[in-house]
Amino acid sequence: MPAPLVGIIANPASGRDIRRLAAHGAVVFDNNEKAAIVRRMLFGLEAAGVTEVLYMPERDFGIVPRALDGQDLQLAVSPLEMPVLGVSADSTHAASLLAERGAGCILTLGGDGTNRAVAKGCGAAPLIPISTGTNNVFPTFLEGTIAGLAAGFVAKFGASEQTVRRAPRLEVRVSDGPVESALVDVAISSLPFVGARALWDLSVVREVVLARVAPAAIGLSALGGALLDGAAGEVNEATGMHITLGPGGRQALAALAPGLVQWVEVTAYRRLEPGAAVSFQPGAGTVALDGEREIELAADSRVEVRLGLDGPFVVDVPATLAAAARAGHLQRTVADDVAAG
Amino acid sequence: MASKATKQAAATSAQALDKARLLHMYEQMTTIRQFEERASKEFASGKVPGFVHLYAGEEAVAVGVCAHLTDDDYITSHHRGHGHCIAKGVEVDSMVAELLGRETGACRGKGGSMHIADVDKGMLGANGIVGGGFPLATGAALTAKHNKRGQVAVCFFGDGAANQGTFHESLNLAGIWKLPVVFVAENNGYAESTPVTYHMSCRDIADRAAGYNMPGVTVDGLDVFAVYEAAGEAIARARRGEGPSLVECKTYRYYGHFEGDPLTYRTKQEVDSFRARDPIQKLRQSMLARGMATAEELGTIDRNVADRIDDAWRLAQEAPLPAPEETLTDVYVSYR
Repeated sequence: MPAPLVGIIANPASGRDIRRLAAHGAVVFDNNEKAAIVRRMLFGLEAAGVTEVLYMPERDFGIVPRALDGQDLQLAVSPLEMPVLGVSADSTHAASLLAERGAGCILTLGGDGTNRAVAKGCGAAPLIPISTGTNNVFPTFLEGTIAGLAAGFVAKFGASEQTVRRAPRLEVRVSDGPVESALVDVAISSLPFVGARALWDLSVVREVVLARVAPAAIGLSALGGALLDGAAGEVNEATGMHITLGPGGRQALAALAPGLVQWVEVTAYRRLEPGAAVSFQPGAGTVALDGEREIELAADSRVEVRLGLDGPFVVDVPATLAAAARAGHLQRTVADDVAAG
Repeated sequence: MASKATKQAAATSAQALDKARLLHMYEQMTTIRQFEERASKEFASGKVPGFVHLYAGEEAVAVGVCAHLTDDDYITSHHRGHGHCIAKGVEVDSMVAELLGRETGACRGKGGSMHIADVDKGMLGANGIVGGGFPLATGAALTAKHNKRGQVAVCFFGDGAANQGTFHESLNLAGIWKLPVVFVAENNGYAESTPVTYHMSCRDIADRAAGYNMPGVTVDGLDVFAVYEAAGEAIARARRGEGPSLVECKTYRYYGHFEGDPLTYRTKQEVDSFRARDPIQKLRQSMLARGMATAEELGTIDRNVADRIDDAWRLAQEAPLPAPEETLTDVYVSYR
């Protein structure tokens, strides 16, 4: 069995977007805390028997080197050999290098945007995404030590259908441009510029496509949860949703950003089956991927969004730790002389 | 029912920018760029006494922020202050005259590049002391709070100043008194020649807002729309009486710390990578792509700005120096 390899991609730029002003986002998720999370991850990884960790280098802060500073860890932790450009493509590049090297698991620190970039490159390597962004659906808040343990067990003993699930993905094509993707939602807004990126004011949003419907989500996804009724199907169905906003006699109560709960006017909505596509010709505006404006549209741009079930593999951390316990990896027999001593 | 925060959002987002406002922002950014390029040239020829610290490259910050302000609002600046003056409406003629120490200067020729002020425009002064603007802006915000006219104070500062004691003292006061002040960090990556990765204990100045109970955000300071939106939210929040904010703009200065700086601490490759993201070109391309301006309209603005700056330098050089008997006037202390 090859030595288990785990990757870490920690985004130094997440956690300080405009929603702190426009809504009530967490004051800030600073990089010193990210370094502390990584440090706890490393102790978890080492305890699980991982001997090698490769991480994405970044020139801005050095989250992983700071996590290592002064710590007594035996596992080998090294930066990936790659150019550092300071852009989201670094996360994609790091993920693809980790996939090539056969990483058994990749731990990510960031928001939906960070994970979207990682998902472009990670292939079949399963992810444990930890939220350090503003309002996220894909990554979740998770204690670093527990994440490290789970990543270690997945890397060491492999994943199974019980411990890893595949996330959906929205494929986005604008006119003849390159194919982009989103893990959570795609929104068409009338805002003409990418600007500060975040999208929180639904008066400028016309169409929303959700990769999945999650009742406890925040952001545009919350709309899907609010529209879950008998006609819209059940929560656990692997289907997305297309929602058209505007007057139509129906309103949905949705948590659009931290501390920002609004009644939103909905003209129409329908569930989307895997493989289904929706097309728009919305005029000038922007396309937001996972809550952030990314693509500026010309007056004649065409947008097509297709739901696929081919997103990244994601580790179910509680299921992984339960499986590790059942397999006996979390217990050992104490010899009499050790117990007596 | 829309919440209070969301009602404000549409007014502060880039959607509120019509053609006339975008053209005005383009003109201001172009004026700053051409002003600085000319100042560099004239300084090299020996015409300008003292030092100049040029703002070229950072135009999107001053213009994106000041687009939300009126003459009744206050700003404080720093040693790299020409861009803030222009964005706040200080006359270019009076600025050039001030650089040359002429009687027609904004401060009667007694301030020079690092001390241009125009109180009628709400420009409370550039400042040669690093971190000197924090207490001034905080005090101005206290005035604004007492005036109850919805005024706001904005403090522009650099990454080096974020390590000064005045930063921490002023943000603390603003936080506890809930003052209408927006602290705008112009993080250009270097405090004089020391990189921010070396001189600061955190990566983002915005991280420090948490210690003073105010929101902190980081935006692309090379994108005027990003700055406009973030500043708009922060300023609207201050006007509503919700207290101070810290907006960090990641930016870059094209010239050295001062004119004459040998620039041994950064590479040509780094400079080129930022020049490739030039904020004025980005605005220009966005407007052209959306049909919000024609190349002819923008070209006319470029030429008019050049003429205006030519005129300002000609007028300033023709203007007299202050008379010796004026030495003790226009100062804080009466010597008579």
